[in-house]
Amino acid sequence: PLPTPPARLPYVPHVPPMALLGKVTATTFALERPRCVFDGHADASDAVWLAVAFANASATFRNPLSRAEVPPYQQLPTAHSYMTLETAAAAYSCSAPSPPVLRVGSDTACRDQGRQDPCNGPLPSPGPYRVKFLLMGCSGPKAETWWSEPILLRRAVSPSTIDPAPTRRGSAVVVIASILASLGAVLATTVLGALGAKVWGSLCRQDLGTDAFIRRSYRTHHIPPALPQPLRPGCRCSPPGLCCSAPQAPAPCQ
Amino acid sequence: MAKSDDCAHILQGLLVFGNVVIGMCGIALTAECIYFVSNPHGLYPLLKATEHSDIYAAAWIGIFVGLALFALSILGIIGVIRASRTLLMVYIILMLITFAFEMASCITAATHRDSLTPQLFLKEMLERYQNSDPANNSDSEVTKTWDKLMLQNHCCGVLGPSDWQEYTSAFRLTHSDADYPWPRTCCVLDAQGLPVNLDGCKLGVPGYYNSNGCYDAISGPVNTHAWGVAWFGFAILCWTFCVLLGTIFYWSGIEY
Repeated sequence: PLPTPPARLPYVPHVPPMALLGKVTATTFALERPRCVFDGHADASDAVWLAVAFANASATFRNPLSRAEVPPYQQLPTAHSYMTLETAAAAYSCSAPSPPVLRVGSDTACRDQGRQDPCNGPLPSPGPYRVKFLLMGCSGPKAETWWSEPILLRRAVSPSTIDPAPTRRGSAVVVIASILASLGAVLATTVLGALGAKVWGSLCRQDLGTDAFIRRSYRTHHIPPALPQPLRPGCRCSPPGLCCSAPQAPAPCQ
Repeated sequence: MAKSDDCAHILQGLLVFGNVVIGMCGIALTAECIYFVSNPHGLYPLLKATEHSDIYAAAWIGIFVGLALFALSILGIIGVIRASRTLLMVYIILMLITFAFEMASCITAATHRDSLTPQLFLKEMLERYQNSDPANNSDSEVTKTWDKLMLQNHCCGVLGPSDWQEYTSAFRLTHSDADYPWPRTCCVLDAQGLPVNLDGCKLGVPGYYNSNGCYDAISGPVNTHAWGVAWFGFAILCWTFCVLLGTIFYWSGIEY
């Protein structure tokens, strides 16, 4: 006998609406945790799986008929879909206290170790992906939700695309540079002009200092006038005060 | 004659006063530049890696210019009081050289401040932070500086944690996106340095990660540094210009 098709639950999985910066990253995404969706269809032994498929492969996804046929994470590149996040149905019931989001792709260990358990490994490409919840019982799928809208993951660009150049030159630089350059030019011309005027003046004119208004402070010493000394004997000189050079040994003048 | 003597004395007094101000400003400039060069906020490795660290060169020039201004102001005071033509000519020429150096310092500080955009720091952070293949030592310095910056200022990235999501980086090569959407230092850490809620931090739940960028923490001290050097130097140069003009006029009026 053909298996009965699973019941369609009126729930569309979606990315949580609250502001979470990491709800969609390059290899993971978050889903709002369904609450009270499976009540009434689930037994205590049932498990809820999350089916993840590429958006263009979701139409061709076939529900597995038993747990043994569940496509594992490793088959995603070939089968374009897999199922993960096997959880007891009781965890999604109305009364279960739980975090409000599920994170798809958060387990990096199972990707590396290649375990065959349902692996919530990181998604290898930006997608887009579509997901749906599937309630699996012992005899096969019992209920399923609608497929979600396509979820596109983030794509990172290389930092070499960043242009570090400033968008516009600040006005402060222009002000400082122009004013300082003009001040420097004025100073240089003034110094050269003053030097040139002095050099020209000393070459061409003889009268010095007629336009100088700054006198040096000359310190004057008071030199007392020399008094005439009395003539020493033995020194016959004329005029008085000057000694003449006599043939004999000259007497020192006083 | 008495009137021109009075004018001469007034000019002498003004020049001495001008030189005293230059001397004090020179000391202040030296002190300010020594403070900046001592790297009080620990941002020097980041600037050195961007190859736009010339605001430090401008500060170094400022130290020596400040000392030169102080010494020259003393020379100027002596030259003005003694009305010595040779001293004043030496003073004028050395002051012009100092003026040129300080002009270079101001323009360098102002120009390089403009080139320190957020994109510059973003590019450098993405390429060097946690670079596991350090060709040179500066990358590990950059990593240490960024870690310290993010821990002390409770910030993440340059513009925000989404920097790590929008761009690939050296960090991304060694840390998978699923485990480390952004570095652990972006998470709110407890006293032991461990994230308070690691899953909350990875998801970006408000309260468990630092959502603001570090650019404000970088640009504040850098702006103070650059504008302190540039505008204070500019003010000193304007004052020096006036004093030098007065000194040239005074020099040309001294008799032989």
